[in-house]
Amino acid sequence: MSLPKISRVPASRLLSAVHDPRWPLRSAAPLAVPKRALTQSGYRRPGQPREDKPPWQRIKFDFSKGLEGITKHFKLLRQEFSDRLVGPEGKPIIEHMLEQNRVIWEFRGPDSLQEWTLSSDREIGGQSEIHLKLGKNNETCFLYGTLQSAPPRDGETRYSGYCSMRSKQPLVSFDRKKHHDWSSFNTLHLRIRGDGRPWMVNIAAESYFTHQKDDLYSYFLYTRGGPYWQDVKIPFSKFFLTHRGRIQDNQHPLWLDKVNTIGFTLGDKADGPFQLEIDFIGVCKDYAHTEDFAYEVYKRNPEV
Amino acid sequence: MNPYILTILLFAMGLGTTITFASSHWLLAWMGLEINTLAILPLMCQSHHPRAVEATIKYFLTQATAAAMLLFASITNAWITGQWNLEFMSYSLPTTLVTVALALKIGLAPLHAWMPEVLQGLDLTTGLILSTWQKLAPFCLLLQINPSNTSLLLILGLASTLVGGWGGLNQNQLRKILAYSSIAHLGWMILVLQFFPSLTLLTLLMYFVMTFSLFISFKVNNSTTINSLSMSWSKAPIISSMVPFILLSLGGLPPLSGFMPKWLILQELTKQSLAPLATLAALSALLSLYFYLRISYAMTLTMTPNILLNALPWRLPSNQHTLPLAITTSLTICLLPLTPAIITLLTL
Repeated sequence: MSLPKISRVPASRLLSAVHDPRWPLRSAAPLAVPKRALTQSGYRRPGQPREDKPPWQRIKFDFSKGLEGITKHFKLLRQEFSDRLVGPEGKPIIEHMLEQNRVIWEFRGPDSLQEWTLSSDREIGGQSEIHLKLGKNNETCFLYGTLQSAPPRDGETRYSGYCSMRSKQPLVSFDRKKHHDWSSFNTLHLRIRGDGRPWMVNIAAESYFTHQKDDLYSYFLYTRGGPYWQDVKIPFSKFFLTHRGRIQDNQHPLWLDKVNTIGFTLGDKADGPFQLEIDFIGVCKDYAHTEDFAYEVYKRNPEV
Repeated sequence: MNPYILTILLFAMGLGTTITFASSHWLLAWMGLEINTLAILPLMCQSHHPRAVEATIKYFLTQATAAAMLLFASITNAWITGQWNLEFMSYSLPTTLVTVALALKIGLAPLHAWMPEVLQGLDLTTGLILSTWQKLAPFCLLLQINPSNTSLLLILGLASTLVGGWGGLNQNQLRKILAYSSIAHLGWMILVLQFFPSLTLLTLLMYFVMTFSLFISFKVNNSTTINSLSMSWSKAPIISSMVPFILLSLGGLPPLSGFMPKWLILQELTKQSLAPLATLAALSALLSLYFYLRISYAMTLTMTPNILLNALPWRLPSNQHTLPLAITTSLTICLLPLTPAIITLLTL
């Protein structure tokens, strides 16, 4: 005689209501810029199911997209070859030698927003929001949102409340990394209009070892609220080394020949709305600035 | 660095090369190469900057791979022939493997990929040691083995001259330019290795003299990019006027000393009925000449527009030892008339 099967595991529908991975991401605001997906951020909230699909099941085949990709990459490769014949970085050497200012990011059309990626503590279960859109007359970028420093209730996170915007890694043909070469410059020049909040500028340089992949060189960006634009010039010698938010003891200057990304982070524990308008981000060469590095490099307490 | 540690490391580097020079047993030669590699590693990561450590690790990995390949080849040779002597490698597999291992050690194309990145992560003095002293021991071994595979050396040589020329074309970092120049010169040395080994030695020594002058000139200017060289006319005007000669000598133009090895190599290759190869090598030297000329254009032939002529910076006497630079610069410029004497010396 067969007994009716007693299910010892609660119904899956019951569990999914609590651990719904889509729950923190539901927001009414329209997504102007694709936000970082949960899997891209690399953090899996405790209690959420793992993505255990093997690699061959994760590929989605699409013939037309494949053809588009091939043509795009070969076009980029041809562009690379022809740039090589002109000079370093595709410009003639005289232009490279005479360059004193260069605008790297300028927000003049919707395509410029595609170079940036946003993230906030939504990824770890918090409630901050961040959005990016073009400002008035499509002349600037407008970063806005709300900061909430209430930590997510998962039993292990103590602090929360951050929002950030980071540039995407520039890529050459076949998705190879390209680095910004700012070795002819020594100052970062930003034109911004903030709301008085203190931001942090983070520059990520190319690293070889995996334990250095979260190394960021940071400096502060104090915005003055108000209708007037603010020109901020930060010498690269002022940037200090941090790793996952912690300032390191062994400091060294930022090498400018292989810069990957730049980012702006807000985490000033003041809940409420914020906004930052950026006109352009550029680099310039300040001949009067002769400092190599602003912080001490010698050991302060050497062992004898 | 602590002077005692520095002394030990420099001594160990000298010891390693000397052991390889003095060895006729493969194991002793390998040991000398390993001592050499290990001794330079702390010198390379002295500054503890992540890029310096990256350069050190890349150098260590490539050199260790090459040393392992070398050991494997010499053991294979000992297995087949029963003897460990350097000169008596008669089978093609061990000899080819030894040649490839030594090519990886010195950075010949197509085994050159580590060279620009490694040199970029180092300061100029350590880069100089890497480009000059570290090439002595592998060349000593290359000169002693009888190459069985003639075309391998020619392919390595031609590929190196071409890669050294193409790769250096769009660099604006001086250390990477010097790395590609090193690759190109090593290519020239390998081209003639099997026909006239003394010419390889001559090219090597001439390359040492020329590249020493260039490295030290850049060190005196404390510049690592082409743009920073444009200020050197106000800091060190005599060096700014001599560097184009050093660069043209590296490019192999007569009547400077750098023409001597290239001329003799082209002559030897033509005598061996390899005239097309000689033509290709000569044409690839033009590529290298382009970026040498670019450096001299930035340094000497142009003046930056925003420095007032009457606002020159203070020219304090330099504390650097410039006597070696003076000697090597004179040798770089004036040695060509002594060619017959040098050939006689080398063929004795």
